[in-house]
Amino acid sequence: MNDSTDTSERPVKPKPRARSFLIALVLLGLTFWAAFKVSFDLSTFWEVWSNPIWSKFWPIPWDWVLKKENTFDPLIETLQIAVASTLLGCLLALPVSFAMSSLTTPNKIVYFISKTVMNLVRAVPDLFWAKLLVTAIGIGAFAGAWSLSIFSLAVMVKLFSETVDAADPRPLEAARSSGARHLPAVKTGVLPTVFPSYVAYSLYIFELNIRASVVLGLVGAGGVGRVIETQRQFFRFDRILGLLIIIFGIVWVIEQISVSLRKRLV
Amino acid sequence: METLSDTPTSSQRPPAPKTFHRWFIALPFLVAIIWSVTGLNITLSRLIDAPGDAWSILRQMIPPAFGEVYERGAVGKIFESVYIAWIGTIIGAFASLPLAFLAAHNVAPIWIRSPIRQLFNSIRAVPELILAVILIPVTGLGAWAGTLAIGIHSIGTLGKWACESIEDIDEGPIEATKACGGKWVSGMRWGVLPQVMPVISSYWLFRFEINVRASAVLGMIGAGGVGSELVSQLSFRNFPAASAVLLMTMAVVLTIDTISAAVRRRIIKGAVSTDEESRTFEAITDLTGIRS
Repeated sequence: MNDSTDTSERPVKPKPRARSFLIALVLLGLTFWAAFKVSFDLSTFWEVWSNPIWSKFWPIPWDWVLKKENTFDPLIETLQIAVASTLLGCLLALPVSFAMSSLTTPNKIVYFISKTVMNLVRAVPDLFWAKLLVTAIGIGAFAGAWSLSIFSLAVMVKLFSETVDAADPRPLEAARSSGARHLPAVKTGVLPTVFPSYVAYSLYIFELNIRASVVLGLVGAGGVGRVIETQRQFFRFDRILGLLIIIFGIVWVIEQISVSLRKRLV
Repeated sequence: METLSDTPTSSQRPPAPKTFHRWFIALPFLVAIIWSVTGLNITLSRLIDAPGDAWSILRQMIPPAFGEVYERGAVGKIFESVYIAWIGTIIGAFASLPLAFLAAHNVAPIWIRSPIRQLFNSIRAVPELILAVILIPVTGLGAWAGTLAIGIHSIGTLGKWACESIEDIDEGPIEATKACGGKWVSGMRWGVLPQVMPVISSYWLFRFEINVRASAVLGMIGAGGVGSELVSQLSFRNFPAASAVLLMTMAVVLTIDTISAAVRRRIIKGAVSTDEESRTFEAITDLTGIRS
């Protein structure tokens, strides 16, 4: 008993290793350098209220914002871009995902090529695609829809092929052992088990695409972003603010519908 | 025995299920396709010309003019993008961590947690680009506008993720701190923080990866970084230079992804088990940089 009270001293705190110190020092130095390079300046926050720019945001000219041709026509174009590119991207993603999953790939070469190409496509940010396609095939919603299709294909394929990887292999095996060729075996053995998540992911991609298509117009790829870009050049931030309120109200409603659909699916 | 004799007669193929209702599901899709395509000003000539136009530009992009863009200082621009992402992530991380404690349902009372959750949700709803559009007139063109946009947007996602991992913890250590007479803050510091820090710091790194892409895009509207370089090369129709900028950006993005993924694996291995399955869904799509 006496012994235990003697030995109940606090254990010695382990000393940090020299290497950890070094890493911390390097990271700290890097952070300061980066902060200097981006001209880190928190005074923005307290100078903001005296900044005369705020008077440009207010009051919101609702009669301008609520006009059909200013807000709602471009907004409908945005939705059309989102719907078209979701449909195209997700439709193409179905065969590509099966090619990209080790469970259902027809052969090693297809697997490797599709995986590499899709990883490279995903390394390019979505608006870079939009700008590239705007330059290549002209300003407007057409280029925007293509770029979002490409990008949603790349994201969808990544998500869905991982689901296919995790699918139960036994139905596929059963189909193969009864002599089915590759495609019918995948269709009857894997597709039914992963189809609900395919639909759920498609809805998720749709939500992503709606948000993306709002900003596409900033690089000339159609939709409501075009109006924002124009008003930005005129310094009409009051109009922009009104537009944004309408846009994100509608986007929010659509998203809630999509989220509740997804919850019922999975 | 009787049942056995029954089997041969009953082994007929079951009738195929009726598939008529599928047409009712297909119909809205058909309508959606037609409706959405009508808005895209697609003419037959555009549809036919598009692949050719894209191909001719792709051909002009090869070989990439690395030397020319290097002289214009594109490397510095790419690094500026990385700096923006790094500082933005740090702003997001520092601001979101305390807020996440106030938003988790197992450690915070409802009157504080619901407004903070609403704050996270509303921040996440607005893309970085839109934030930058609003911030540029306030801060002026340049890297600081992009950094703030990314920092603010990151507060929303990082806060949500951190809050979710706080909600997943084992509550024993909090009880232990309370039993020793610790206050709420000590419970958080010694009971919660050690449990969640590995997961949360790996989320920070993950957000950094996303932010690198986001900051590259932000340059396109003048918020600093490599995007402006791509835009100006493309508007001069200087395609070899544009492809060089593109390839350099891709290289940096992929390198950072690889390093960060390796570090994250290091952090998580041996730490508390994370609910990886449920997160991948949201987390990977986040690579789009559009939302999270």
